Amino acid sequence: MVQVLEKKQINDFLAELGKKFEIIDARNDILPPKQYFFPPKEEIFTFDKKSARVSIPKIKKDFIIFGLSLPDLEAMVQLDEIMRKPQEDFFYFQRRNRAYLIGLSEDPICLPPVCALPGGDMILEKINEGQYRVLTLTDKGKKIAKSRFLKSFKNIEIKKYPDGLVPMPTLKKMLLDPEYLSDIVAWSWKNDAKIWDDLKDICLGCGICTYVCPLCYCFSVEDRNASRCRQWDACTLPNFAKISSGFNFHKTLKERYYNWFFHKFVRAYKEYGKSQCVACGRCKKYCPAGIDIEKVLINIKEDYEKYLSVAKS
Amino acid sequence: MSKPKIAICDFTDCEGCQVQIISLREKLLDLEKHFDIVDWRLVQAKKEKGPYFATLVEGTPITPSEIETLKYFREQSKYIFGLGSCASLAGIPGIISKENREKWYKIIYGAGYKPQGIDALPIQAFVKVDFLIHGCPVGQEQLVRFFEELMAGQTPSYRNYSVCFECKVEGNPCRLVEKKPCLGPITQAGCKAVCVSGGSACYGCFGLRTEPNIRALLTILNNITDKKEIERYFTMFLSRTEEYQKIVKPNL
Repeated sequence: MVQVLEKKQINDFLAELGKKFEIIDARNDILPPKQYFFPPKEEIFTFDKKSARVSIPKIKKDFIIFGLSLPDLEAMVQLDEIMRKPQEDFFYFQRRNRAYLIGLSEDPICLPPVCALPGGDMILEKINEGQYRVLTLTDKGKKIAKSRFLKSFKNIEIKKYPDGLVPMPTLKKMLLDPEYLSDIVAWSWKNDAKIWDDLKDICLGCGICTYVCPLCYCFSVEDRNASRCRQWDACTLPNFAKISSGFNFHKTLKERYYNWFFHKFVRAYKEYGKSQCVACGRCKKYCPAGIDIEKVLINIKEDYEKYLSVAKS
Repeated sequence: MSKPKIAICDFTDCEGCQVQIISLREKLLDLEKHFDIVDWRLVQAKKEKGPYFATLVEGTPITPSEIETLKYFREQSKYIFGLGSCASLAGIPGIISKENREKWYKIIYGAGYKPQGIDALPIQAFVKVDFLIHGCPVGQEQLVRFFEELMAGQTPSYRNYSVCFECKVEGNPCRLVEKKPCLGPITQAGCKAVCVSGGSACYGCFGLRTEPNIRALLTILNNITDKKEIERYFTMFLSRTEEYQKIVKPNL
């Protein structure tokens, strides 16, 4: 049996869910889903002088984030893991635990045992021009699948759409070997310095790549007027690695820009065994300087291979 | 204990930043519990002599007497703060070009007029300034933040990130990606990207962010538009900055 949602009934399905949940339609979002659990700028608690009490933001309603892409769902699995270490990030999970994630995919979904479980609670997988197959992946997913708009069929036309929408196909393949990525990025700092010298002249250091990255999670904290505020930070910004004595660990844009790669591909591999990248392509799409991260990694790989072949001969 | 005395003075400008202070309304009354505004030409008849805890300077001095007044406030004040882009960057008065000025003098004031005005410069060209509240006009949230920091005895702090952060939070795609000029990446945040959200470019009225990569932005702008346009963008607010004179101008 295949559970199916008619394309033209997606909005009805959402409207029905909207009676119980707050619905967030993420289909046209520029910022990645992390924004709903780890907002760009958030007062995490305030202190009230009169009552001498600390209060934290209250999440009133369960909410559904609709329309996440497969890379974003994958990123959410990783971000959940990251936010659990070394201890659970309370403010992240107080939102995350209330959220239901619905993915929307034009590409065919690969499920266990062939592939790892994709993230999300439910995924709508396009099976032909008018219909989506409904994949419920978690208990939360089952809860929202009880809808009169989801119908079960025995025989249904399932068209296999080719993987056409992968924004960075080569990088996606490279991510299958995170150890290699980690090795070549670490190698590049001293042995492929030209790459970083060139990039430091192009990069504006504006931080957009980190803001739009579904797996960048660095923040800065500011205490002010009886409240604590945390805000996304970006490692390309000049004061990111500056400490209170005034010392800056990353004095140059070259160091800062490399740090972005180092964290994603070297440090992340050491800490989690995988790269913190899902090849969603946002960093390239929104980079005002047109930096293509996939291309940078391909260049490093080529230089590394050249270096190896010279070393052998 | 008497409350700290604050003066607010203004030179050549549109007075819009002072209007922003007034527009804080009840919030201003709240803040004013912690200090006394003892001299504020635009708003009140009360006018006390110094010394002052702090003076907020709006606008840029362009006559000898205005420069003297600014120096007087500097001597009388523990802190001097620039209020808005005219004070911090020479702002709109800084756009004026000398050649045109001669022509307009004649048209407006007649042939016999002897000009007294000098070229607009940021107030830090004349006196030591402790902090600049940027913006054209300054933002209300930013003003509250500034006053709170001041009253808490903190050093007011600049935002060391680009407008791009606030622009992304506002949900804007990138102007530069769309091949439209923008100075957002080199400009200090604090405005909530109001211009870009409204369909305009960022002209940098909040001043340059720490360590802006201006050369990289020039490369991008050169691919999008011509040198005349680039000059127009940079001279809206940034022509009096060292970076403009040293990096941008020689490349135009």
